[in-house]
Amino acid sequence: MANGATMHLAVSLSPEAAPPHPPDAGPDFSLLTRSVQKAEAAGLDMVLLADSALAAGGGPNRQVPFEATTLLAALATVTSRIGLVAAASMVAHQPYNLARRFASLDIISHGRAGWHASMMPGPREAANFSRPEGIPTDDFRRRAVEFIGIVQGLWKGWDADALLFDKRGGRFFDPEKMHLLGHKGEYFSVRGPLNVAPSPQDTPVLVMSGLSEPDMDIAARTADVVLLDELSVERTKALHDDLKRRALAFGRSPGAIKVLMNVAAGAEMTARPDTFADRLEERFRSRACEGFNIDMPLKSTLDDFIGRVLPELHRRGLVLSGYSGATLRSHLGLAGEDRQ
Amino acid sequence: MSTGRRQMKLGAFLWATGHHIAAWRHPQAHVTAGIDIDHYIQLARTAEAAKFDMIFCEDAAGVREANVNIASQTSRSIGFEPISLLAALAVQTERIGLVSTASTSYNEPYGLARTFLSLDHLSGGRAGWNLVTSASQIEAANFGSTGLRPHADRYERAREFAAVVAALWRGAGTSGFNHEGRSFSVRDPLDLPRSPQGAPVMIQAGASDEGRDLAARTADVVFTAAQTFKEAKAFYDDLKGRLAVYGREPDDVKIMPGVAPIVAASETEARAKYDELQELIPDDVGVALLSSYLSISDLARYPIDGPLPELPASEGMQSRQALVIEQSRRDNLSIRQLARHFAGARGHWRVVGTPAQIADELEARFEGGAADGFNVMPSYFPGEFDAFATLVVPELQRRGLFRTDYRGSTLREHLGLNRPA
Repeated sequence: MANGATMHLAVSLSPEAAPPHPPDAGPDFSLLTRSVQKAEAAGLDMVLLADSALAAGGGPNRQVPFEATTLLAALATVTSRIGLVAAASMVAHQPYNLARRFASLDIISHGRAGWHASMMPGPREAANFSRPEGIPTDDFRRRAVEFIGIVQGLWKGWDADALLFDKRGGRFFDPEKMHLLGHKGEYFSVRGPLNVAPSPQDTPVLVMSGLSEPDMDIAARTADVVLLDELSVERTKALHDDLKRRALAFGRSPGAIKVLMNVAAGAEMTARPDTFADRLEERFRSRACEGFNIDMPLKSTLDDFIGRVLPELHRRGLVLSGYSGATLRSHLGLAGEDRQ
Repeated sequence: MSTGRRQMKLGAFLWATGHHIAAWRHPQAHVTAGIDIDHYIQLARTAEAAKFDMIFCEDAAGVREANVNIASQTSRSIGFEPISLLAALAVQTERIGLVSTASTSYNEPYGLARTFLSLDHLSGGRAGWNLVTSASQIEAANFGSTGLRPHADRYERAREFAAVVAALWRGAGTSGFNHEGRSFSVRDPLDLPRSPQGAPVMIQAGASDEGRDLAARTADVVFTAAQTFKEAKAFYDDLKGRLAVYGREPDDVKIMPGVAPIVAASETEARAKYDELQELIPDDVGVALLSSYLSISDLARYPIDGPLPELPASEGMQSRQALVIEQSRRDNLSIRQLARHFAGARGHWRVVGTPAQIADELEARFEGGAADGFNVMPSYFPGEFDAFATLVVPELQRRGLFRTDYRGSTLREHLGLNRPA
């Protein structure tokens, strides 16, 4: 194999991409469960759960009547291997609350949780979160850098072996292994620590998207997974290589960041699964990315991807069968990669 | 058996390894509760099998104790974040209500309303929000505040917050929403359909004058702490008396004091169980817990066998603090005695005895017009909760004081609350 590796695959369950339909006609939790369980049976690395408040406009007729982090918690109890990544807005949340929610999700899912942070805030978010004047782009970016730093810092507040559970000795945890954050910055001050146990996978996985040029350093320094929109092979590869170079400059191994390309799966994939597989293979073999995030507007598209494209990728030796580890970090080949 | 008579409401207050501060050290306590989702699923199913109205999770956005040496001797510095916990439990249970605390000081109404509505959809109409204004300095330090907001400011923000949340829930699934207030602005309706129960249930626990007023205005359920029948009755009458001003009926709000039971087949066994737990409390932990509850940082410098010193009024939890101080004076308790006594039940009502004795106590407060039900706070999990569910609940059912099965499917139906228009 050209990369000496196999591709990582994520699917996005994205309500916005669905065609219009009457209210209450969308899939309920059991339908969503079946889709995610199908993705798990197919051995996909992770499911990305969109959050409808992040979409433009808003409106009552959403396909998925659930907020993404609560949906993730529920899905965690009906799956056992697949990674579960929820979008959560940096405008809508305080960093302490967000870090805490995902730390808890990570324990509920036994180390399969990830946070999808977008660098493009939804246009209506500020208006609904008591900032009618909006947030200027530069402010949003500086605030995001601080926000992500706090979240990742809080996730590291308890050493992996901090909890002792020593009934007889009367020590529940080792005080030396709990660390205050003591962050004081331009936008936030957060003392810490988080009141959630340490992660089963080091920290929840950070997935970033919506990057523009000035965001590349933020991603290179902090992200575990970067989602890039589909461009030409050459342009994607240039972005991919740029990210890896920057990661190296920050003292990280290039393997510590996985670049996944967003690909929309639609009628064309259903009609020509071979051609769709060719498209993925070409991008993967040219080392423009480490895998793909396939946007699945409809359940039938997921069935087609799993039933028709995935077997073709298997035949070509481009994907592995099944899971070798238990955590999302392990599925993504990130376990043991360097982290500051 | 279920007749037309009024029946009590029961909440199962789930908290880490147990409500007793030393619970985690008990040989039968599940010490890894805070990292074990299956433990919570089992507790929720136990509560559901016993036909409890709801499970309830307390919350603080921070560790409970700033002194790390003290904190490390308790199990309360780590646990699940309650909304994610309840979302997981929502799809692993079918009937029981799911209530979480969340702060009006460290959230925004749009996000909170949306998250609880999502929990309501995941559970088919079983969600409730317990509004708190957050009184701890530890929490404040995680949200960029230089200090705690004064009590009155917190409540002004909370009133606006609660009104916006209620309006967002009523307006979910419609088009057009606009709120421009002193603390918050919201320009769109929620992007989720209307709640299966009309709106999630609104709960309140603040017992100060402003807290009671906010509860009378907005709450469906009020949690409270009352040691004696007299205190419980006074609170009950006061709160119900405030409802008319807001055009509400006495039955529109259910008042559920906390109760910390220790139950065993004989009274002697129950006493022994209690003493065993009390022996597990280290003195420094008990005093620290009391200090934190009284919002004073230096209780440890007073002689532990002497009386509680005179205390200045604080911006923290005003009303419950007064209860603790009153009790120490009434019973002439030393700091050590008060600390131990308080640590056991955290200022809530402690009942120790046989199933019949505990049922008698609950019945007396319920029939005496001092409670509509109780929020049950087991000393340790799962053992003490199992004991209540399998010994006390059947006794209450035999007396016709508690349901033998659910009749509705939503939390509002369990509680006998009207569906909001």
